[in-house]
Amino acid sequence: MKPDTIIKELTAIMGPEGVLSRPEDLMLYEYDGLSALETPEAVVFPTTTDQVVRMVRLATARNIPIIPRGAGTGLSGGAVVTQGGIVVSFARMKKILEIDLENQRARVQPGVVNTDLTLAVADAGYYYAPDPSSQKACTIGGNVAENSGGPHTLAYGVTTNHVLGLEVVLPDGEVIRTGGKCWDLPGYDLTGLIVGSEGTLGIVTEITVRLMRTPETVETMLAVYDRVIDATRTVAAITAQGITPAALEMMDGFTLRAVEQATHAGYPMDSAAVLLIEVEGLREAVKEQAEMIEAVCARNQVRSVRRAKTAEERALLWKGRKNAFGALGRISPNYYVQDGVIPRTKLPEMLEYIEDVGRKYSLQIGNIFHAGDGNLHPLLMFDARDHDQSQRVVKAAQEIMTRCAELGGSITGEHGVGVEKNELMPLIFSEDDLEIQRQIKALMNPTGSFNPGKVLPTGKMCGEIRVQVSTGG
Amino acid sequence: MTGVAGEVRAELAGIVGEGQLTAEAPVRESFAVDGRTPDCVVYPGSPEHVAQTLKYAASRDLAVIACGGATRLGMGNPPGRYDIALCTRKITKVRYYEPSDLTAGVGAGMALAGLQNLLKPDGLWLPLDLSGEGKATLGGIVATNASGTLRHSYGAPRDMVVGMQVATTEGKLIRTGGRVVKNVAGYDLGKLLIGSYGTLGVITEVNLKLFPLPAERQTFVLSTGTLGIARDLRRSILTSPIEPLRMILLDAGTAGIVRSGRQPGWATGEPEMWLEAGGSKPVIDRTRKELEALGRAVGAKVYTYESEGAARAWQTVSDFRDWIGKMYAEAVVLKGTMPIANSEEFLSLAQQEAQNEKVRMASVAVAGVGILQLGLLGLQNATQAAGLVSRIRKAAEKSGGALAVTLAPADVKLKLDAWGLPPTGFGLMRKLKEAWDPKGILAPGRFVGSI
Repeated sequence: MKPDTIIKELTAIMGPEGVLSRPEDLMLYEYDGLSALETPEAVVFPTTTDQVVRMVRLATARNIPIIPRGAGTGLSGGAVVTQGGIVVSFARMKKILEIDLENQRARVQPGVVNTDLTLAVADAGYYYAPDPSSQKACTIGGNVAENSGGPHTLAYGVTTNHVLGLEVVLPDGEVIRTGGKCWDLPGYDLTGLIVGSEGTLGIVTEITVRLMRTPETVETMLAVYDRVIDATRTVAAITAQGITPAALEMMDGFTLRAVEQATHAGYPMDSAAVLLIEVEGLREAVKEQAEMIEAVCARNQVRSVRRAKTAEERALLWKGRKNAFGALGRISPNYYVQDGVIPRTKLPEMLEYIEDVGRKYSLQIGNIFHAGDGNLHPLLMFDARDHDQSQRVVKAAQEIMTRCAELGGSITGEHGVGVEKNELMPLIFSEDDLEIQRQIKALMNPTGSFNPGKVLPTGKMCGEIRVQVSTGG
Repeated sequence: MTGVAGEVRAELAGIVGEGQLTAEAPVRESFAVDGRTPDCVVYPGSPEHVAQTLKYAASRDLAVIACGGATRLGMGNPPGRYDIALCTRKITKVRYYEPSDLTAGVGAGMALAGLQNLLKPDGLWLPLDLSGEGKATLGGIVATNASGTLRHSYGAPRDMVVGMQVATTEGKLIRTGGRVVKNVAGYDLGKLLIGSYGTLGVITEVNLKLFPLPAERQTFVLSTGTLGIARDLRRSILTSPIEPLRMILLDAGTAGIVRSGRQPGWATGEPEMWLEAGGSKPVIDRTRKELEALGRAVGAKVYTYESEGAARAWQTVSDFRDWIGKMYAEAVVLKGTMPIANSEEFLSLAQQEAQNEKVRMASVAVAGVGILQLGLLGLQNATQAAGLVSRIRKAAEKSGGALAVTLAPADVKLKLDAWGLPPTGFGLMRKLKEAWDPKGILAPGRFVGSI
């Protein structure tokens, strides 16, 4: 890329306010929630789809990589730069274009912050269901790229179950609209293919989502345990009772102590594990389910079950959970958060395994799980200045991920593959499986200029994981 | 019988086994599509045999139409060519089933009814109610993304499939997704296959998310008088706290038919809103109370349907397409999809169009989702049918939706496209088709834009 002429052309498209190219500005775009890699050559801030199209044409013609970026909160390195190029920030495309309550739909630009959509419809009794922990910062465009989840996806599904339509810019500059406000439109489900493709198949410039009705009642419960095994058994027992809670989260003692020190949410400092359980819906159903859950907890040696009495108390419990990563950042210079998935009945077995791995590599590992759907977030504490320890983190992480795959699970439940786990894809996919994914990529992104180096193995790193080495964030 | 056909049969029998292939005329005719009969029918006994069959067919440029129970075989445009019917109904192995995980992986040929029998003792089910439930296989259901009235609260197969195995025309078996309920590793190729009507590959195994069966169920019927009242009722129910398992709007005639001659004393003779509540007794009692209040506000009466009769009636509703087809040989069945708010207006426009042609129209609207099934009865000829369908399709498009033909006599299908105009992004769809099926041997010409 010849910087000067390209920057001039980009400025002609975006306007002077819409392009960054000074080294000190560009440095800020080396990072996302995972790591820092290379520095981009420019960052652009389109305000319209047309600007995206013109920029894509310009970059594709010169074979310049394009890296779409929402809020940069992603945890798999989906928004980092692998080989220079132009970062497309959607920070200025953050309009809610349409709220259509009777049809339970909203149309948004990709830069709309996840929570802002819910706030915009909350008074009318609606919300947008996918709720990543970073929802106060992350954008719906980024959620679409990563097919993000969150605690409440247990009952309502991940992003792909809530997106009905997209406007997408393809590498040749063509703009297509997939899906729309209705379900089951004839044709292949391009929306479903593009959601979760991490910006490698197309750049999403508009999203039509489903809005859901706010339930009549919510009951949030904190179950406290003296033994981790009792907490994990409770998880399987709740499901076996035919109850699908809206959320079913677990934190181990180490994590909840860090959380309590940071947020004072009322988590007991001396317990081995807690479950944060939420049921919602019709008053009568919630009452009954909450009672059933309490009984299940009691059968599994729970120390106590506390129900949040007020909305504030509920919010505080959730604040503790959603800020857990940050809380651990306060006590460790660095941490590496994983996103493995296992069948939920394997939870007790998997927790023991993680403990063994921690012992084997002399690492402190905190555990915070979307336990209800078997999505694990072990957090491996380390100090990046300690080279030996960093190496051990990589090895430990790899073993945990391998175990998830062996138990019939996955290497990522909601964070995406990015540059972090692309070399681990062979753990869960055969060469034939990967080959057809490569074919799809070659067909939709023939020059490879859309978000290069993500999702699929590059073959350069021999099955290694790429771990955060920068901050405790 | 040509020499080539004989040779093909012998070679296919070499792949799938002698007993897994038949060329008997009555069997072949039972797999006919729009007047075209395949040269032979193969029943591969394993995913590997499906893959080898496809590879062989591709090498000989033979057209393959895949199916399971053949309950939705007629959907789509008439095939451009058709040599082999590939029936997956012998691939029925349960690969894994862990009730506490709420997941199962089964062979594509397993019938939905068979799966429900497996799950029921554990208090679980796959919440789909479909026509031909006894015969419809999971492979076919997923390939057509078929859903019924339970769509209202449980979604479609698209929301229930967590992974699958697919045979490609290259002769490979590939996996998409996985076995766990949450998984975002790699491209979600499963979404492409779901609802692709067998035009990209043949689904050989399906991994599913399962659900707990509701403790109790109760059906309520509300007489709505007019479509305007039905609309008001739909609005108020969807903004009320109650959470029905399903909710449909039936026209008066259809409501009478689905009660299958067993008319309860309260048969209303009006368009009816049917609603099923699920859960414990307090939940059902609360639902009744709320419905009575909502009904009073718009002048609709609430009736309680006794449970055995209701279960039978719901099954008849799910079988809509089947019985319409059986009762009326010339019938056309349509599936409309549109923004929820436009359902009743579209229904009224469609009724008007049918009336103008003196054609009877039966309808089931999954009103809270925006999906409608329409049956056109008493059509005089293909020209009238095609004309009427195009006008109803225009009404659907005007309502911001689309209309597909799901059942029609062959001569009607020749006069119209089963899917309507290709959507935007069709160029990309065509490229995807070419990548998966470069020779165009899978259900040629049957899908959108004659893909």
